Amino acid sequence: MSAAAQIAIKDLKLRVRDRSAFIFGIVAPLVLAFVFNLVFGSVFDATTGLGLEYGMVDLDQSEISLVFGGVLEEVEADGILTIENYANEASAERAIEDDGIDAYYLIEDGFGEGVVTVGSPTIRVVGDIDAPTSTQIAASIAQQFSIGVEATQLAIATTAIVTSSQVTPQFVGSLSGDPSSAAFSYQLEDVSAATKQLDGTTYFSAAMAIFFLFFTVQFGVLGLLEEERDGTLARLKAAPIGRLSVVGGKAILAFLLGVISMTTLVVATSVPFLLNADWGAPFGVALLVVAGVLSAVGIMGLVASAAKTPEGAGNMGAIIAVVLGMLGGVFFPLGQGDDLLSKLTFLTPHAWFMRGLADLADTAPWTAALPATGALLVFAGVTGLIGLVLLRRRLER
Amino acid sequence: MTDILQATGLVKAFGDLSAVDGVSFTIAQGETFGLLGPNGAGKTTSISMIAGLLESDAGEVRVSGEVISTRSTAGKSEIGLVPQDLAIYPDLTARENLAFFGRLYGMGGSDLASRTDEVLGVIGLADRSDDLINEYSGGMKRRLNIGIGLLHKPQLLILDEPTVGVDPQSRNAILESVERLSDEGMAVLYTTHYMEEAERLCDRVAIIDEGKIQAQGTRRELVEMVGQKDRVTISSVGDLAAAAKSVREVAGVSEATSSDHQLHILTDEASSNLPELLARITESGGTISGVEVLEPNLEAVFLHLTGKALRD
Repeated sequence: MSAAAQIAIKDLKLRVRDRSAFIFGIVAPLVLAFVFNLVFGSVFDATTGLGLEYGMVDLDQSEISLVFGGVLEEVEADGILTIENYANEASAERAIEDDGIDAYYLIEDGFGEGVVTVGSPTIRVVGDIDAPTSTQIAASIAQQFSIGVEATQLAIATTAIVTSSQVTPQFVGSLSGDPSSAAFSYQLEDVSAATKQLDGTTYFSAAMAIFFLFFTVQFGVLGLLEEERDGTLARLKAAPIGRLSVVGGKAILAFLLGVISMTTLVVATSVPFLLNADWGAPFGVALLVVAGVLSAVGIMGLVASAAKTPEGAGNMGAIIAVVLGMLGGVFFPLGQGDDLLSKLTFLTPHAWFMRGLADLADTAPWTAALPATGALLVFAGVTGLIGLVLLRRRLER
Repeated sequence: MTDILQATGLVKAFGDLSAVDGVSFTIAQGETFGLLGPNGAGKTTSISMIAGLLESDAGEVRVSGEVISTRSTAGKSEIGLVPQDLAIYPDLTARENLAFFGRLYGMGGSDLASRTDEVLGVIGLADRSDDLINEYSGGMKRRLNIGIGLLHKPQLLILDEPTVGVDPQSRNAILESVERLSDEGMAVLYTTHYMEEAERLCDRVAIIDEGKIQAQGTRRELVEMVGQKDRVTISSVGDLAAAAKSVREVAGVSEATSSDHQLHILTDEASSNLPELLARITESGGTISGVEVLEPNLEAVFLHLTGKALRD
């Protein structure tokens, strides 16, 4: 067995005995993923549409009110919400009180006629006081629909003025043959990879995993400085082994700790009765994990090469891990716009790791993770190479 | 006898500070060589270059004929290093520490296991071999520190101030171990600033100060080099003035004075001419009641060569 492997095995034994790597690598991220999911998970779920339950009371039963019902059914078919029809307002009220639904739409009799006669048709949204977010989303959907209604009304009125006609259902029908289809359509956009988002549970599981990964790999990389401080480095340097074996041993341990930590977290958070996170195609996730760990080893190796003591390196590493984590969006998702922060975020491995997982969302194939994997490997290569040169020079001193 | 170590013209500077300046010496098989000097004299820098931890600015180190360099592993398996500070893993057991370093030196299997047991016996830790080092006393840790250096049966054992901070009992055990290893044929390079250790252990000594070897040789050679003589004090009654006059005629005696029932004599090789000195005093009518011989020590040599005390 090579000297590097011997050093890695010895260090692994030491880390297992002091338990610190176990706490930082597995316990802390798992607990924090639970906590973050409890605190913020529902927000994520609401924004991605999961768990929205609405009712519909259509007292109008006109072609136009049926179009609105049809729009909601299409959204339901996409898994964003569920819609239940009620015969009257009282039954919908009871459903809210029984926590069956979060809100319901009430379309009064005469709604359809109001649209075509350019009147003031109204869709009322009644929500559960305990589900304000869901109610607000329901109101937003109705508002979007009303914008379409107003646009159609404007078109009808303009045509009537130009042609000096009376606005009647027959007139409207003569414009398109079907007044309802002329006015409304519902379209679901397929979001691009850049704006895909993970569900709350997966997001925080992944975020905590990549955040604590940097602390975990530190235990491996900082071993070199600890050997220096504790005097054992002199013995390693005196032994008939190459200097790079010493650095290699530390890098192997850092990589092993990182992979063990990440794999444990991926598996543990995927268990249905724990967090039930959906990480995506396993091979794609494995690529991201390996590349993410390598980037963390590279960056922390660079930190170790610049520090004078293990304590100094630990402090410096913690600051860098937190800054990169915040910038990479592990505590809160950052926007994907054109602002400076959105650009800076991709200077962190954290953002690329999260991006890679988002690319794997919605049952995407493993190849979807390749761009992010490539970016992570670039991080690993650049920082690792500089760190290696500096550490080797340090060992020559 | 074969030279195991040949250090030739070693030079090392750290910035403007010249730490080692032209250090040269050899150590033969079975010889214990002492590098004696105060703190900061260049002892540790010298052995760092000899052990291949530090690259010299100039000069060459050869161990068993192999050139030692930080950039090569050649010859390093012939060197056993015992650093001044403890270089052991406190969260491993003694056996695990030995096994780890043994594997780095290419040992394995039953060879490693049996040699580990052997070394544990030599350093007196066989019964505590599976305890974590955290639970060891300071002396036990020191012994393990030495044991790791011995494990792979090196041709050259380098001990850098191995008794610093050690209790007298452990210190004696360490010195006895070094004597035994030397007897078994191992070449030993021993650095210390304790004069008595160098005198007890070393066949030859180099006195180093401010990065330069001031003198080297056997203790006797060093003493002669600086003109130091044995001091003999004889307590006696009788005609001491006549006795002193008679003693001055003995070959090797450079000075003989009397005072208060005592004769003070400076002589070469007191051990060889002491019988004649005593005979002369008796012949002069003196009655001898006591004899004390003080041989010149390395402390005195060091003082003479450097103008300062060894522990400055």
